[in-house]
Amino acid sequence: MTLTIATSVDQAIALLASGARPIAGGTDLVVGARQGKAPLPDQLVAIDRIAELAELTSTDSETRIGAGVTHARLMTDGLIIERHTAIADAAALVGSPATRNVGTLGGNVMNGSPAMDTGAPLIVMGAEAELRSADGTRRVTMGDLWTGPGQISARDDELCTSLVIPAGGPGSGSAYVRLEYRRAMEIAVVGAAAAVTLSDGVLTSIRVALTAVAPVIIEIGDLDNLIGGAPDRALHGAVAAAARDQATPISDLRATDEYRRHTIGVMAARAVDAAARRAAGEQIPVPVNRSLGIGAAQ
Amino acid sequence: MSLTEIPAFARADGPDKVSGLGRYTADLTLTGMAHAAFRYADVPHGRIVELDTSPARAMSGVVAVITDADVPDIYLSAEIADRTLFARDVVRYEGEVVAAVAAVTPEIARAAAAAIVVRYEVLPAVTDIEAALGENSPLVHESWDSYATSGDVVRDRNTAMRSELHRGDADAAMATADVVVSGRYVADASHAVPIEPRAVVAEWQGDHLTVHTSTQVPFDARSRICETLELPTSRVRVIVPHLGGGFGGKCGAHFEPHIAALAKVAKRPVKLVFSRYEEFIAPDRRREGMIVDVATGVKHDGTIVARAAWLGIDNGAYMADATFFPQLAAMHVAGPYRTGSLKIEADLVYTNRQPSGSVRAPTAPQACWAIESHTDEIAVALDMDPIEFRRRNLVATGDVGPMGQVYDEIGALECLELATASAQASADQKPLGPDEALGVSMGWWPTFAVAAGAFAKMHADGTVQLVTGGQECGTGAVMTLRNLAADELGIDPELIELVYQDTAVAPEGPGASGSQTLLNHGRAVEVASQQIAAQLRELAADHLEAAPEDIVLAESKASVAGAPAASVAFTELVERAGAELLGTASVEMPEYPELPTSSTCIGDQGMGAWLAPQFSCHVARVAVDRDTGVVRVSEVHTAHDSGTIINLMGAHGQVEGGVLMGVGQALTEGTRYDDEGRQRNAGLLEYKLQTIADAPSIHTQFVEIATPNAGPRGAKGLAEAPNVATAGAIANALAKVIGQRVRELPMTAERVWRAQTADQSSTTTEQDQS
Repeated sequence: MTLTIATSVDQAIALLASGARPIAGGTDLVVGARQGKAPLPDQLVAIDRIAELAELTSTDSETRIGAGVTHARLMTDGLIIERHTAIADAAALVGSPATRNVGTLGGNVMNGSPAMDTGAPLIVMGAEAELRSADGTRRVTMGDLWTGPGQISARDDELCTSLVIPAGGPGSGSAYVRLEYRRAMEIAVVGAAAAVTLSDGVLTSIRVALTAVAPVIIEIGDLDNLIGGAPDRALHGAVAAAARDQATPISDLRATDEYRRHTIGVMAARAVDAAARRAAGEQIPVPVNRSLGIGAAQ
Repeated sequence: MSLTEIPAFARADGPDKVSGLGRYTADLTLTGMAHAAFRYADVPHGRIVELDTSPARAMSGVVAVITDADVPDIYLSAEIADRTLFARDVVRYEGEVVAAVAAVTPEIARAAAAAIVVRYEVLPAVTDIEAALGENSPLVHESWDSYATSGDVVRDRNTAMRSELHRGDADAAMATADVVVSGRYVADASHAVPIEPRAVVAEWQGDHLTVHTSTQVPFDARSRICETLELPTSRVRVIVPHLGGGFGGKCGAHFEPHIAALAKVAKRPVKLVFSRYEEFIAPDRRREGMIVDVATGVKHDGTIVARAAWLGIDNGAYMADATFFPQLAAMHVAGPYRTGSLKIEADLVYTNRQPSGSVRAPTAPQACWAIESHTDEIAVALDMDPIEFRRRNLVATGDVGPMGQVYDEIGALECLELATASAQASADQKPLGPDEALGVSMGWWPTFAVAAGAFAKMHADGTVQLVTGGQECGTGAVMTLRNLAADELGIDPELIELVYQDTAVAPEGPGASGSQTLLNHGRAVEVASQQIAAQLRELAADHLEAAPEDIVLAESKASVAGAPAASVAFTELVERAGAELLGTASVEMPEYPELPTSSTCIGDQGMGAWLAPQFSCHVARVAVDRDTGVVRVSEVHTAHDSGTIINLMGAHGQVEGGVLMGVGQALTEGTRYDDEGRQRNAGLLEYKLQTIADAPSIHTQFVEIATPNAGPRGAKGLAEAPNVATAGAIANALAKVIGQRVRELPMTAERVWRAQTADQSSTTTEQDQS
């Protein structure tokens, strides 16, 4: 096995084109190899020391998060907490302190797990992944990137360099909540992210995405009829019903499909509630799970 | 005498363990060492029709491959001799060892083990406790009646062991009850999960064998090696480096003989290091699954007139040490209450699952969870406060236990009052929310005593070494044994070194099992230290021209009582003696209480009367997320009667660890099986231990009653007792919040959610006594 430590994106891309696989935090790749899911690739290119990938920049209209930005940074970064709160909520729930210190957003995205925590927040915020290869740079939406459990539409010679997220307007708020059986070292049983915009107490936009209830993270469709309403219990009920209706959960060790279908409604409603409260100016500290006792009462 | 005024001091092994300097068995590397891998059955029940090791033998780097054919023809002599070191003809659980390979690297060893060809005629797997007892069930052991047994073993077909407790005429008494409450409780199997997966390094020098191993019980390990490999005791030495936890999972002997046999064939040292997966599936130590069917008859005033119960306990495929489980579980189902007439029958049942064995307070957390849930259900049926119901029925000093034992001074009631008052005070300060409740559970546990020995040496520099048969597996031998010696000798405990386990140098002892370290080794350490103290007094008396009985030992100096100014240092006294001072102690087993003839134990394993019983009360403050069923435990208030407390810091540590383990058993820890008996969650992602982020605040008080005829200074054990009552307390709080009883353990979020949508109440029958 060879391991090359790349110092630039161009160098990394060249190595990918010759068959190497990228490694940053290694929290999926190495753990997966140890568990026997897949052997370590023969050629690895380490991308954790490429400065460009660790950049987190913003303009008035968008935020650019380098693929190498860690979860630990996302959960504490002032701009992310202010502008993309759901991502901070999700990053704060990932694994353990050790996982969050080395695990990266780009790694999370390109691993393509339907149970990943940062995925649903990225969807509801309309994020796009920037993929670079020798052929150039392209952007794909999250919905286009994830094609199945652990499957992505990116080619092997493409490197995810950043996630680009539109800045929410005034009156916007977001939240990610998940069902968890314990408070650390947990994987989402189900989870939900919501992003909403309020104007004069009335809903002007709403997006909700669901974790671990389908082969990929899915966005709930047909929520536009809720626009113009108040962020009240009726809204929560409608979102919960839509989530249960559109989820296609499986039964596994963590939960039965029946329980997942029930709890995805609970999580979706709670995510919308927390997002709307944030949109209305309420300060709910990151992560919502701890602040509101979601997944376990206070 | 209480020692709690002696300042507690921190663990001597702490810095090494947290800094990574500590050396565990897996850290050992010997010259020329090969690495072991096992080939497991994988099939839970099957007859071996082909076993071909030649593909493994042919692999480059493989130095030894052994099977049943390569070791002495011995059936292991647990209470039922039902297995061989390596599978013979039939495999009976997925983790049974069929063959072992030694190779120059662990990777080659694993590849070679995988290359061994084994074909089975698959046999029907026995996985259901109740079905296993049916007339038509396949047998886990076809020739069970040919197995040798020891002691009073009652068995039949798939019943590995049956015990019954009888007192009075339970049926007649039940008919006199005003109300009969009955219910069923089902507990899943769970695991000890020590942080260190087990490891063994075996090395032969000529015909002498040295085994480094991660065992809690080195002398048991030595016995098993000698028995199975037909070696004299004098040629086998077992050494235990730092031990990364055990929780009972490393009691008994496990793979030491396999690796020793492999090293003999390989003609070089061999090392085995388990993966986490192997740690889950292979050892004969998991916490047994259990069914408890119980009915209790009570009077309207809360008097219990009768209890009848049947227990089904999953033994798994082979007998580890579980023959005492049925009787011990039956005692827990009788409970620390005045229960009138009793008829409790318990079956330990063979299945095609991993063998069960002693894990921290075996049988007690599940049985206690069942019976304390049941106790709250009785109180509800009587419309009586559960605390008051317990207060009226708990055993007190002078009372008679389930099988007729008369209790010396005990603190069960004090535990109830202290723990409930503590929890209530907290709830007064921070009122319970609408989704919160307090739940109460009592627990109890016997004290296990055996003979033990200790050596003590005071060196010329005034430091002391203690050599015992004890083992430090996290229970605090490094604290309490040194506390005792320090107090006898009048020196700082930091001057005392505990020599870790080595069967070649230490007197035989029970190791770290059954809460026995302080209780048994402590008694021996006390006597050995007293012998050195007596020598110091003699030497000092001579020097200070006083009588030995007037000599006071303190701060590593001897002086005459009332005249501390004129003193002589211990170092000087040892020098005057011309040789280091030695203490050698061997202490006998205390006498166990006798049972009267008014009660009957069938399948008696010595559990009908308990030496120095320990009592506890746990009160849990629990919050429930009703929409999801997720339960959080925010506070646990405990009170423990474990006799005199020797090291308060260590005692709190034991209780806190026991409580957190109890929270896990209550809520998240349960082994899931497929239909054939394979574990589905044999890993730490899906077998969910509690983390420190989940830990409740734990408030502990000790009821210190110096208990005669038990451990040193009136101490009882304390390692297992804190693991008994927590799940019951959580269950009772949970039932109060949701108004339904969760009848399966662990009470997972999904089970709680389902309980809220279905009526799972117990059956309450009002009986007309007019």
